[in-house]
Amino acid sequence: MNKNEIYKKLDGVFQDVFDDEKIHVDEKTTANDIEDWDSLEHINLVVAIEQCFGIKFSMNEVTTMKNVGEMVNIIIERING
Amino acid sequence: MVELSFEDIGLDTEKSFEFIISDLEKQKFLEITGDINPLHNDKSFAQKQGFADEVVYGMLTASYLSTFAGVYLPGKYSIIHSVEINFVKPVVLNDSPLKITGKVVAKDERFGQITIKYNITNRDGEKVCRGIMKVGLSNYNKN
Repeated sequence: MNKNEIYKKLDGVFQDVFDDEKIHVDEKTTANDIEDWDSLEHINLVVAIEQCFGIKFSMNEVTTMKNVGEMVNIIIERING
Repeated sequence: MVELSFEDIGLDTEKSFEFIISDLEKQKFLEITGDINPLHNDKSFAQKQGFADEVVYGMLTASYLSTFAGVYLPGKYSIIHSVEINFVKPVVLNDSPLKITGKVVAKDERFGQITIKYNITNRDGEKVCRGIMKVGLSNYNKN
């Protein structure tokens, strides 16, 4: 799966979790950019992304990811072995 | 009230307790919420809507989920994150005692969160309410 495909899938997950079809994420997107992306919703988002891609983020990754770009790098690493 | 830690709780940890909803609880709920809908306090209206009797407020029955998490599982350090509630059968006053049973079906050590699958049954053992609760623990230390 290439980066574009990952971002497209991520759009779907974000739109679903935040119930907003207008959401489109890019590498610079952070919680400050999306209304309702609070600490509680962050948990739901992480779990939804894990289920979507069939991966698991480590505790360290969950707490240190600064933006969606860093998240995508981890996803690429995981799904490409 | 228990004081369970994240480590104390295992998958399949299960707790339950019984509670009574009488007319007194119904009246208190009405005073707090102002929900004067006749389904809950007009027998004739309730029966015309197809119910056997006045229906107990669904959110009153569900409010005991607060007691479940705050007193029984995990207890003192409970922080409820989310609750899904399905009202599968109407409750009437004669249904008491009601019983909540909850079982831990997932734990996430990254967030110190437990997922509880619960149901509420009436005195005949019929499910009146079921769903999922996600609860954090304020005493959770990730390190």
